[in-house]
This record gives sequence, C-alpha cells and structure tokens, in this order.
Amino acid sequence: MVAADSETAGAGSEKIRLAGAGKRFATRGREVEALRPTDLEIWPKEFVALVGPSGCGKSTILNMVAGLLQPSEGVVLYNGAPVAGQNTRVGYMTQKDTLLPWRSAADNIRIPLELKCRGVGRAEAASRVAQIIDLVGLTGFEHHYPSELSGGMRKRVALARTLIYEPETLLMDEPFGALDAQLKLLLLDQLQSLTQARGMTVVFVTHDLAEAITLADRVVVLSARPGRIRAVRAIDLPRPRDVFKVRFTEAFAHLHEELWEELKDEVAKGTDV
Amino acid sequence: MTNGSGSTSIGMTRLAGLIAARIGLLLAFLAAWQFLPPASLRFWMSGPVQIVERLWSWIADGSLWPNLFATLLAMALGYVIGTVSGVALGLTFGFLPRFHRVMAPYISGLYALPKIALAPLFVIAFGIGIESKVALVAVTVFFLILNATLDGVRNVDRDLVQALSLMGATRLEVIRKALVPGALPWIFTGMRISVRYAFSNTLLAELIAANSGIGYLIEYYSGTFDAAGAFAAILVLVICSVVLTELLTRVETRMARGRG
Repeated sequence: MVAADSETAGAGSEKIRLAGAGKRFATRGREVEALRPTDLEIWPKEFVALVGPSGCGKSTILNMVAGLLQPSEGVVLYNGAPVAGQNTRVGYMTQKDTLLPWRSAADNIRIPLELKCRGVGRAEAASRVAQIIDLVGLTGFEHHYPSELSGGMRKRVALARTLIYEPETLLMDEPFGALDAQLKLLLLDQLQSLTQARGMTVVFVTHDLAEAITLADRVVVLSARPGRIRAVRAIDLPRPRDVFKVRFTEAFAHLHEELWEELKDEVAKGTDV
Repeated sequence: MTNGSGSTSIGMTRLAGLIAARIGLLLAFLAAWQFLPPASLRFWMSGPVQIVERLWSWIADGSLWPNLFATLLAMALGYVIGTVSGVALGLTFGFLPRFHRVMAPYISGLYALPKIALAPLFVIAFGIGIESKVALVAVTVFFLILNATLDGVRNVDRDLVQALSLMGATRLEVIRKALVPGALPWIFTGMRISVRYAFSNTLLAELIAANSGIGYLIEYYSGTFDAAGAFAAILVLVICSVVLTELLTRVETRMARGRG
C-alpha cells in the first residue's frame, strides 16, 4: 500500500481510481471472489454508470470507494490517496433508504447540516432544507414521517438528504430501482440537472441499461461473478439530455444495442438474477 | 375500555349487573371470613371488621404514614438510581463496544442472579434502614434497564449508523441522533417492567430486616402473632399495588397511542 501511494502521487487528477482493487469474501469457510482485481479511473465531474447482473460486484465497488469495505488486494484511491476508513467526502445513497423513522422528512433532510463538522446555523439550515424540499418535489410532505411516505417519496427524501450537504462525489446504488417508470424518469431528470449544476462526480450503479445510457458520460459493463470490467463505453449524447425523449433517438438505440450485446451473456450467466 | 357499548342501555344494564356480581362476591367472601371460622381459628385468621378497625386506628394515630412513606421512598429512590445508571452504562457500552465485549459475561452472570440473594449483604453493608432497600431496588432495576438499553442499542439499524458516520457524524453525534432515539422505546419498556420488580423487591427487603415500611409492619405483626395487624398491612399493600397497576396501565395506553 505504501508503494502504491507513492507510485500514484503523480498519476494524474482522477477523482477515484481503482488500482488492481479486488475483493474476496469468506462465507461458510469458502472464499468467494466478488470482484476480480480491477482498474478503473473516474474523473472529476464525470457521471459513470456501472451496469451488470446481480452479484457482479457493483455495490462492492461503491462500498470500497465509501471506505465501508477494504479491498482484499490492490488499492482504491480517492483524490490520489488510499481510502482508509469511512470516506466522508462522498454522499452515499444506498439501495435501502436509511431514513431515521422517528424524524419527519424535513428533519431527516436537515441531519447533515446539524453535524458539527458542517456547523450550519439554524436559520441557514432551515432555508436550505426548504429550498431542497422544493427542488425534489416534496412540498407538502415536510412533516410526514418515513412510515407515512410512499417508496418514491422516501427515495426523494434520501436524495435530498444526500444532496443538501453538496458532497463532491455522489455514490448511488440502484437508487430508483423499485419505483414505477414515470416516477423514475422524473427523478432521473432531477438528478441530472442537480449533479450537472453542482459539478458533482457521480458513480451510479444500476441494472437498467437504459437508465445508465440516459444519465452517464461513461457506462461500465461488469461481468457476472466474479465481477470484472467487460466493456467501457463513452456516451457521447449531447447534454442536457431530455430523459423523457432521449431513449427514442437513433443514437441511443445504437448505444443500447451495442452495450446490450456485452451485457446479455453476463445476465444469462448471473445465476441469481 | 367499554368499547362504546356502555352508551347503549343494554350495555349499561350489563355493566351494572357485572358490578353487582363483583360486589356480591366480595361481600359473601367477607361475610364468610367474618362469621364462619370457629373460635379456635379466629386467632390465626382475624376478621374483616378487626382488620379494618386496625387500619383505621393506624390512620387515626398517624402511625401508618411513616411506614407507607418509607416503602414508597425506598422504591422510588432505588428505581431512579437504577434507571439512570442502567441507561448510562447501556449507552456507554453502545459507545465502547470493545469494553462491552469484555464485560458481557459478567453482566449476564449478574443479570441472571436473583438479586434478593444480595439483600442480607446489603443489610450488613448499609444497615436495616432505608439504605439497604434502596440498594437492593437500585441493583435490581439497574440490570433490567441495562439489558433493555443494550437490546435497544443493538436493535438500531446498523445502516443508519453507517449512513450518519458517512455524513461526517462524530461518535457522540451518532449516539445522540441514532442510538438514543432508537433505543428509547426499549428503555421505556424496561422502565415499565421495572416498576413491578422495584415494588416487590422493596417489600422483600423490608421483610428480611427493617425498622420501618409496610413490609416491616407485616413482619412485625406476624412475629407478635397479631393477625389483624399483619392483614391490615397486607391490605395497605393491595391498595398500593392496585393504584400502581392502574397508573402503569394509564402510562402504557398513553405511550401506545403516542407511538401508533
């Protein structure tokens, strides 16, 4: 690790870099390789989508970038330094929403601003909360508790809570997986404009290829377990993209077909799809 | 509780009948106690009239109040001390999981110990006054509350904790914002259960060695073969536990409503 550190000091200005990073888990005495040693660079302000079948190590990559998991081999660099311990520069929106059930929507969204490390004043916090509630379309639901909100509403609360403290990097693990198609498009649209406006780096995990192409600058296709990078494709669709219509363009259809060729074998191989 | 049936006339009649049946049964029992036993048993069993007379005389000369006060004070003090220290240590363990792992076997060993076994030791250490009762109740409540707090802390979703620390929360902030509010329902449940244990262990401690308290009265009058006195003290106890149970039920209903 020390060697990797000095070696990468001048390696460029990528935001995130996986250098031969792999992960093995021991389950019931057997070792399972979740992710083959992988190399991947993600640049500042880039929107990268990771697609692949279930169990291909997509979430493992996010967990390693967030510092929740340490790679079994290789190293994960963030801003050029190995990730050691929880990486508080990233905002991580997990598959499961982690809202505090005893706090209302607005109180949940305010949490990051209450923390000492940000030291945001009461009045400023209130106005920022009001602003972001408006932005994600939660007006009228500020005082509802998570148990009183629909799945889509809870996702919006989680998104607002992640965006409000403007982390420089956003990690999203199938954030809108369980939502109906229309609502999903609506949130994708909001996500695109928000991350573009704030110049955020985004790593977006999904199993929905169309979603990936719609949003990403680059799509990374991962193979079935043990995960490895099978293809990387730059998405050169012009921005801003109309998330409601872009999928009906010819360029989109080509990209979808090309990437689906890579993905379909892996989906067939992924036993637990 | 009457589910609205009390508003109909049939419901009212039924309720009246129920109450009449209950009072009738009580009167029959008291009458049987008063008149049926032969003279030879009267000494051991006393009788309702004598018991109420005795209780009235305690109220009239004021000798009941210091004893009632001693019991309630010991119970309340022990309860508060046990609750505060139980919650404090439970949260400390949540804060320092490694410390908890070291302590866990000792805690569960002591938790399983029937605390009443310690009562004689407390009498040696603190004397026969109220202190030894407070100590016994505090220890009993402490372990109940500690376990409730630990259960509560364990039950807080680890993902919530992780999400908070990724946002940059310090450990203290994680405790304040996730562990404490998450454990609160468990702590309340523990506090509710502990009231009953506090009450019965105060009594037990007073029965073992005391110089005041309702338990002391029972022990004293039994020791002097004064059945009326012992029964009068037990009657006070019955009234106390009815009041206590009623209070607890009210608190529970209010809490259940607040959470639902």
